[in-house]
Amino acid sequence: MTELGQNLIDALALGSLYALIALGITLVYTVMGMMNFAHGEFIMLAAYALYAFAGLPFAAAVTSALLTGIAIALLAERVAFRPVRNTDLSAQLVTSLAVAAILQNVVMVAVDARAQSVETPAAISESTSIGSISVPNLEFVTLGLTGIVLASLGWLLYRTRTGLAMRAAAENFDMARLLGVRADRVIAIAFAISGALAAAVGVLIVMQTGQVSPTMGLTPVLVGFVAVVIGGFGRIFGAAIGGLLLGALSSLLGAYLPEGLVPFRDAIVFTFPVLILIFRPHGLLGGAVGKARV
Amino acid sequence: MLELRGVHVGYGRIEVVHGIDLSIGPGEVVGMIGPNGAGKSSILRSICGLVRPTAGEAVFEGRVLTGMAPELIARLGLSLVPEGRHIFKTLTVAENLRLGAPSEDDGAAWIERTLDRFPILRERADRRADCLSGGEQQQLAIARALVGRPKLLILDEPSLGLAPKMIAVIYELLQNLRDEGVTMLLVEQNAARTIDFSDRCVVLSTGKVRAQGSRGELQRNPDVLRAYLGRQP
Amino acid sequence: MSAPRLRSRPAVAVSLLVPLTLIAIATLVGASGTPSFQGTVTLILCNLIVVLGLQVFTGNSGVYSFGQLGFATAGAYVAALLTLPAAFVLLQTPGLPHFIADGHLGALPSTLIAAAFSGFLAMVVGLPLMRTSTLAIPISTFAFLVVVYNVVANWDRVTGGSSGLVSIPTTTTVESAGLWAGAAVVLALAFKWSASGYRLQATREDEVAARSIGIDLMKERLIAFGLSGVLCGAGGALAVHQSGVLNPATFYFGATVTTMTMLVVGGARSVYGAVLGTLAIAMVNEVLRGVENGAELFNAISIGEAPGLAAIGLGLILLATMIAMPNGLSGGKEAGELSWLWRLGSLGSPPPPKPHTAVTKSPPTDRVVKGVLSAEEISLAFSGLQVLRGISLTLAPGEALGLIGPNGAGKTTLLNVLSGFQKPDSGTVALDGVDVIGRSPARLAHRGLGRTFQAALPFPQLTCLESVAVGAMGMGVGRRRAVPVAAAVLDRLNLLEQAALPAGSLPPGSQRLLGIARALAIRPRYLLLDEPAAGLNEAESEELIVILRNVLRDFGCGILLIEHDMSIVMELCPRIQVLDDGMTLRIGTPQEVQADPAVVEAYLGSSFLAAVDA
Repeated sequence: MTELGQNLIDALALGSLYALIALGITLVYTVMGMMNFAHGEFIMLAAYALYAFAGLPFAAAVTSALLTGIAIALLAERVAFRPVRNTDLSAQLVTSLAVAAILQNVVMVAVDARAQSVETPAAISESTSIGSISVPNLEFVTLGLTGIVLASLGWLLYRTRTGLAMRAAAENFDMARLLGVRADRVIAIAFAISGALAAAVGVLIVMQTGQVSPTMGLTPVLVGFVAVVIGGFGRIFGAAIGGLLLGALSSLLGAYLPEGLVPFRDAIVFTFPVLILIFRPHGLLGGAVGKARV
Repeated sequence: MLELRGVHVGYGRIEVVHGIDLSIGPGEVVGMIGPNGAGKSSILRSICGLVRPTAGEAVFEGRVLTGMAPELIARLGLSLVPEGRHIFKTLTVAENLRLGAPSEDDGAAWIERTLDRFPILRERADRRADCLSGGEQQQLAIARALVGRPKLLILDEPSLGLAPKMIAVIYELLQNLRDEGVTMLLVEQNAARTIDFSDRCVVLSTGKVRAQGSRGELQRNPDVLRAYLGRQP
Repeated sequence: MSAPRLRSRPAVAVSLLVPLTLIAIATLVGASGTPSFQGTVTLILCNLIVVLGLQVFTGNSGVYSFGQLGFATAGAYVAALLTLPAAFVLLQTPGLPHFIADGHLGALPSTLIAAAFSGFLAMVVGLPLMRTSTLAIPISTFAFLVVVYNVVANWDRVTGGSSGLVSIPTTTTVESAGLWAGAAVVLALAFKWSASGYRLQATREDEVAARSIGIDLMKERLIAFGLSGVLCGAGGALAVHQSGVLNPATFYFGATVTTMTMLVVGGARSVYGAVLGTLAIAMVNEVLRGVENGAELFNAISIGEAPGLAAIGLGLILLATMIAMPNGLSGGKEAGELSWLWRLGSLGSPPPPKPHTAVTKSPPTDRVVKGVLSAEEISLAFSGLQVLRGISLTLAPGEALGLIGPNGAGKTTLLNVLSGFQKPDSGTVALDGVDVIGRSPARLAHRGLGRTFQAALPFPQLTCLESVAVGAMGMGVGRRRAVPVAAAVLDRLNLLEQAALPAGSLPPGSQRLLGIARALAIRPRYLLLDEPAAGLNEAESEELIVILRNVLRDFGCGILLIEHDMSIVMELCPRIQVLDDGMTLRIGTPQEVQADPAVVEAYLGSSFLAAVDA
């Protein structure tokens, strides 16, 4: 019983982390129609900001990571993604791949190809006991942060005029523009939020692993992509559910898989969405792939 | 108020509109008719900034629209009710209207005033727009455009796919707007209704203006039937 | 008389010779260098085979795959394990089955087995993956890449785990790599110009139109995916027999970016582009690596391992290409299609194929015409809007039925239901007595139902002859037999002059005719035309009437004609069905329909009643 409870909390925590990644990717996808490969590098760069400012008080370092995530997302949008906004999705995907490769290797050149260790506050690596279950404090942080993010995204999307514009743009971009919704602004806001979410994920990963590396964004971006596919393209909270499922699956497989198969956990986790796609080619929640045009 | 000067529109290497001139004065209701493929929708898309004309320009109240982003054109007071309505189906009726309003503060009052015209929409304000019937969706599309207090209202096929009873409702509504002095550009395939309703009409086929004038002038003009029906009667 | 051809013999020869010459030059230059330079060039040529593998799938389908390097990994491991000396097998991969460990295969058989294994793997993986959407394929293939990495990195007893394998025999020479690369070019071009390749290219150009001529999207993608796996596997196998070492990261993310950059910079649609891009990027890479590491040995494939400036440079080149030159260096054209090349050789423009010799064989006119297309009580609603309210319709081969009615009457929706693009809420559609509700448009095309669309939906990058021939190929007709059929159809529609032009370059009127030609090439028994005269000028409309009359006479198919231009309907159709508000208002002869006041009012409006009579 204790073990089950422990495993469930671990699953929920990893699922939350994956949900945050998926949200960052799906937000850009819904508004602009681009699957952003470089999202993993936004995560990585934010983590490196934490590494670079490790000497500052923790809160200041986290703030600088957040600002880095937002700044790099806005910069990438302006320089690389705006010129290909009206091309097809394959071209956009390859463009974002190029951005990912550039950012990754810039860090390799500027810092090092090897992983660097980062000091994290002691309080975070400790655990708290609830009854017989011992929960790492980081899992509380992850769960709490995910809750806050989901609530604020919900508030933004459903309670503000900007959110209304974003939802409208997600459904029919041209029609939203015909009503005076400013395209550049909506896309920039989506990227800024996406960058902030990437930064949050970057900080959480660093606190979990205690290190940063130039390729640390690769697995998260794949997780996010797959979660978006499972959730149904263009469904914002569908992607969050996809992330939750994927994270929970990964965590539970880690706990219950026979010893010999544990190393193949990732292989099994990433095969699972393909099985879903066989039966539901448009994802679990079945979003439409194409967008309406005026 | 709106003036088109030698507008050409093309997609890739293919031109579909070959030099259109058109002017609309304040308070005027101008109809644009012609068969499928005549280039009507392409002209509207070029006015609203969704496609850039390959040559010529559109001028609205002295400002050249060509090259402007659609959202900026919309903010000048030019509202399009597109063919197929394109209401936001995942949003509620009220949210659709809020999107049409220029800003949140004085928008609310205008939404209220607009809803007075559309009792059925007031009744369904909090329902998702895809629950509306076709006629109600068309009313919502027009209401959404009106909330923005347009100086020029452009309607693309407002009666398309509607039952005759609903068409009558829509046209009664348009008649009221016209009486209030709203300037309109009305695009329809249905020649008769448009000619009856408009102050004057432009007849297009294959990307060119074939005839224009008031109802009486058009009915005496043999080019109209030719353009529209492709033969001498 | 020579048979008509999709491209002239000189154009084919140039398209083959230019990339082969480039490979030959690279091989000769490589062979004359130091051993380390030879190794560099050998790896570039192996990499070229992988890029060609990617081209076969991505270039022809327009769908990016991020997983093809997974097939290179699979091929490389299979080849390495098959050739690893027994002494090393025990040390590195104790879990390897004995029949493989004791095999001691030579270079050629191991490469062939590796290629076959990768091809088989691609078919197995592709079976579920190709069912997903155009956007899901890049993501699920990316997932596949990670799965392969994860498996080889952790299956220690068989693959040597993350530390990889060493002491693999180095049997690939620069000459053998050049030969393999040349063979890969021939294979890639042969596929591109095969019936299957054309069908796949049609889906890239327009998915909807491709389905309407009977093309099974999933099947065509799967074939190319499998072939792509074969080439990638061969490339990986040859590369590992050059470098002698292999680890899970050899063909991973970095190599994926490099491979994709090479293809995109060259121009994905073209085999020539793949060769050009690979060589150009390899040279740039060489220079960048020189800057980065002094004179260290360049390793084209394992860029991810020693990353730095070179990778940034490649990323910037890829980004700049996507923004400024999306068709790449080749412009997406094969060498034989480059007009500057022909001018350079003072040969004038590329000689067009000579289809005028084709008209010897006209379509059969004595086809058995029996059966009927019938729809009964079709109803359909879209989000609360009732579009069709119990419409019935019959169309016999050889008959022309006009379908008219005001905008929004439900004409096009009905046509979509008849052709399988839309499933009705209720009612039945029977094709020659067989219930076909729920069948895909492609299946219906195979049963003899052709259609056009309100938009012309051309295949812009294919020539007119190719666009029509692919219609016949969609029916499973081979390339050689499809071309005369296409030439004959083009001749009937007065489009033979334009046969060698890209479909996207035609004026709108001709594009519409081309759409009809494409539908006719599937030899339909029933042809559904949606507003074929929309956007045509008067002369073109007159021509259309003559053409459609000829079609009725020569092809013997039944025509359902939706048309706004009444004169065309009245001229062609002895029977006219009038729809209004989703219901049938009247069925009758043109005279009956014209005389019916209800029809005139619904269609033209009452105020024109008098004018029409006048």
